[in-house]
Amino acid sequence: MRDSTHRVRRRVAAAVCAVALVLPLAACEALTPGSATAVPGPTSVPSSTAVPDGDVTLRLQFADAPLMVDALIAAFEEKHPGIEVEPQYKTFSDYVQNLKLTMTSDTAPDIAQYAVGMTDLAADGHVLDLAPYREAYGWDEAVPPVSLDQLTAGRTSEATGGRALFGVPAGLSMTGIYYNRELARRAGIDSPPRTLAEFEEQLAAAKEADLTPLGVGALDSGGLHLWAALLNQLMPTDEYWDWVNGRKGATMENPAAVEASELMVEWGRKGYYSESANGTAQVDSTARFAEGDSVFLINGNWAAGQLAAVMGDGVGFFPMPGERAGSPTVASGFSVSYAVSSLTEHPEAAGVFLDFLTSPEAGQIIGDNGFLPPNPDAVGKPAGVLADIARGHRRAVADDGITTFPDFAAPAMLDRLRSGVQKLIADRIGPAEYLDSLQDEWEDHHGK
Amino acid sequence: MGSSPPVPGRQAADRRVRGRRARGRSPWRGYVYVLPAFAVYFAFAVLPALHTAYLSLFEWDGVTLGDWVGLGNYAEILQDPVLRRSVFNALVLVVFFSFVPIVLGLLSTGLLARYRRPGMGAYRFLFMLPQVVPLVAVGVTWRWLYGDDGVVNQVFRAVGLDGVTRAWLGDFGAALIAVGLVGTWVLSGLCMMLFLSGVQKVDPSLYEAARIDGAGPIREFVSVTLPHLRGELAVAMTVTTVAALASFDIVYVTTNGGPGEQTTVPGLLVYRLAFSEGKVGLAAALAVVLGCLILGIVYLINRLSRSQT
Repeated sequence: MRDSTHRVRRRVAAAVCAVALVLPLAACEALTPGSATAVPGPTSVPSSTAVPDGDVTLRLQFADAPLMVDALIAAFEEKHPGIEVEPQYKTFSDYVQNLKLTMTSDTAPDIAQYAVGMTDLAADGHVLDLAPYREAYGWDEAVPPVSLDQLTAGRTSEATGGRALFGVPAGLSMTGIYYNRELARRAGIDSPPRTLAEFEEQLAAAKEADLTPLGVGALDSGGLHLWAALLNQLMPTDEYWDWVNGRKGATMENPAAVEASELMVEWGRKGYYSESANGTAQVDSTARFAEGDSVFLINGNWAAGQLAAVMGDGVGFFPMPGERAGSPTVASGFSVSYAVSSLTEHPEAAGVFLDFLTSPEAGQIIGDNGFLPPNPDAVGKPAGVLADIARGHRRAVADDGITTFPDFAAPAMLDRLRSGVQKLIADRIGPAEYLDSLQDEWEDHHGK
Repeated sequence: MGSSPPVPGRQAADRRVRGRRARGRSPWRGYVYVLPAFAVYFAFAVLPALHTAYLSLFEWDGVTLGDWVGLGNYAEILQDPVLRRSVFNALVLVVFFSFVPIVLGLLSTGLLARYRRPGMGAYRFLFMLPQVVPLVAVGVTWRWLYGDDGVVNQVFRAVGLDGVTRAWLGDFGAALIAVGLVGTWVLSGLCMMLFLSGVQKVDPSLYEAARIDGAGPIREFVSVTLPHLRGELAVAMTVTTVAALASFDIVYVTTNGGPGEQTTVPGLLVYRLAFSEGKVGLAAALAVVLGCLILGIVYLINRLSRSQT
C-alpha cells in the first residue's frame, strides 16, 4: 500500500520536474526551484524491529574505509542470510559533493554514510529519524551517548519527543599527533608532551636536530586538522560547539581563535612544517611520515592501521596537549555513521543492519580496521599505536572533549578553512583576516 | 451539412494545385526541414541555458524552496573577491592555454612547412596524442610529475638546481604557472596539428615563387604560410581560449584551486557552489557571467579574423 503511494508521488514529482523544465519562464509559484522536490514518505522509522521475511537487498553508499565496510557486510550477511547489502563506494570528495543530489533523487540508496549536509537533508525529511529504534534496540547502552548526540542534527524527534537520531556510528574517529620514536630519540625527546608549551619545545628541539618537525598534508584537510587541534586547546569547548552548531551570536572572531591562528603562522615562520605542506595531500603526508620524513605528523586515527603496518612499534600517538598539564583532553573527531533514506522500502531491514553495527562482533571488525569501536569494552585490547589512540580517545570521552570538525559549521566552510589554513602556513594572511573570512561564511549560512 | 459530397477526381486535383503552390511560395517550408534538428538543439542546449539563467535569479540550496532575489546573485559576484580572483586566474590561463600553444604551433609549422616530407601524417599523429588522453588522467599524471619527489624536481636536482625544487602545486608563486603549463602541453599539439594540415592546402608553387624572389625562411613564413592559416588561427584561438576560460578538470584534479585561491577558476567555483556549498543560484549566475564572457571573446576573435579577409 505504501509502496504504491510512493510510486504515485514519485511520478507526480517527476511530472512536476518535467513541467518546470519545459516552461521555465512562465512564472508561477510551482516554478520556484525546489517546489518540485516532494518530501517522500514518512520522516521516521516504524517502531517495530521485526526482521523482514523474504529476500531483501539494501544499497549502502559510503566513502570511508571500504575494507571495513566489506568485512562488516560479510559478517552481517552471514548472520542474516535474507538481507543482502550491496556496497557502493565513492571517494570522499565525490561523495560529499553529490550527497544532496543523491539523497533527494528517486534512486537514493537505502543507507548512506552521514556527512556534512545531512542536517539539511534531515530538516527536509530525506533521511529517516531513527529515534524509535534508539529505544527499541537499546542503542544508548551499546554506544556512548556523546557519539549519538553528534547525530541529532539539532532536532527533536517527532516520533518519540526526545532527541532525534539521524545516524548510527560504526567507527569513531579522532585527530592527534603521531610521532616517530626513533627520530624523537635522536632529537632528545623521550616522552609525549604534557602541555602545548612542551610540544612547542619538542618541535624546536627537532628543528635544532636538523629534522623536519611536523608533517602536515595541507593540500586537502591536514592543515585544518592542525588548526582545529590548536583551537580545541585554546577556545572554550562550549563556545566552539555553539559556533559549529550555528547558534545565534556565536563567533570565531575571538582572542582564542586569533591565538591559535597566530600559532599556525609562527610555526610556519620557524620552519616547523614539512617544506611542501601546502602541496601534500593527507595520504601522502602519512606515507612520507612512515618513510621517516618527519618527527611528528598531524592526522587522525584513520591513518593508524597503515602506520602500524609499516612502522610497527616505531610509532606512537598522543592527542594535542592542553595549555596546562591538568587541562582536559579535547580532540576533534566524528564517527563513520550511517543514515537511512526516507525513500527506502525496507526501513526494518536497515534497522537490523544498523543494530548489527553496535554489536561486539562488529566492534571487533571496526577495531581491526583502525577505527575506534563505539563500545570499547566489548572488544579485545588493542596493541601498539592503536592502544595509544584508544587511551587518548577514552580520556577525551571522559573529559567530554570530543568536538566535531570545524567544517561542519557550514557547507562552504571546508573550502574557506582549507584555503585559509594554506595561507596561514605560507604566512600570506593575518589571523584577523582569516577568521573574518570564516565568520563571513558562517553568517552567510546561519545569519547574524 | 449543406454541401454535396465531394467528387473524388476533383479533390485530388485540388490537392495537386495546393501542393504546387506551397512548393513555390511558402517561406516556411525550409524551416520544417530544420525543425527536428532545431527541436533537439532547443531541448538540450537552449532550454538548459535559459533554465540556468532563470535559476540565477534565485537563492536556492538545491533542495528546499528557493527565494527570488532578482539580480542579487550578480551583485554578489561583482563584490566577492574570490570570484573576481577566479576570473583573473582564468585570464592568466588564457596565456598558457592559448597564446603559448599558438606561438609554438606556428613555430613548428614554420619549420616543417617549407618542404614536403614523407611522414607528415606521423608527426600529426604524435602531436595529436595529448588530445587523446582524458584530461583527468593528464591531471593526475602531472600531479605526480610536479610532486615533491616527482620527475620535475628530479631533473632540477640532476642538474644541480636543488634550490629551485619545491612542491610546485603547493607553492603560492608557482602553482598557477604549473597548472598553465599542463594546459600548454595538452593544447600545443592541437594547434600544431591544425596549422600543419592548414599548410598542406597551400599551393607549393607559392613557396617556389617566393624562393625564386629571394625570400628567406622568415619572409616566406610571414608572406605565404601565415596568410593562409588565418582560418585555422581563428579556430585554434577560439578552441584554446574557451578551454582556458572554462577550464575545470585539470585544476580540479591537480590543485583543487589551492594553495589559497591561487589557482581557483570560475568553472571550479561553479561546481563547488552548486554541488557542495548549496548555492545553486549563485553558481548559475557565475555560469551565466562566464558564458557571456566566453561568447563575447569568441565573437571578438571571429570579428577580427573576418575583418582581415
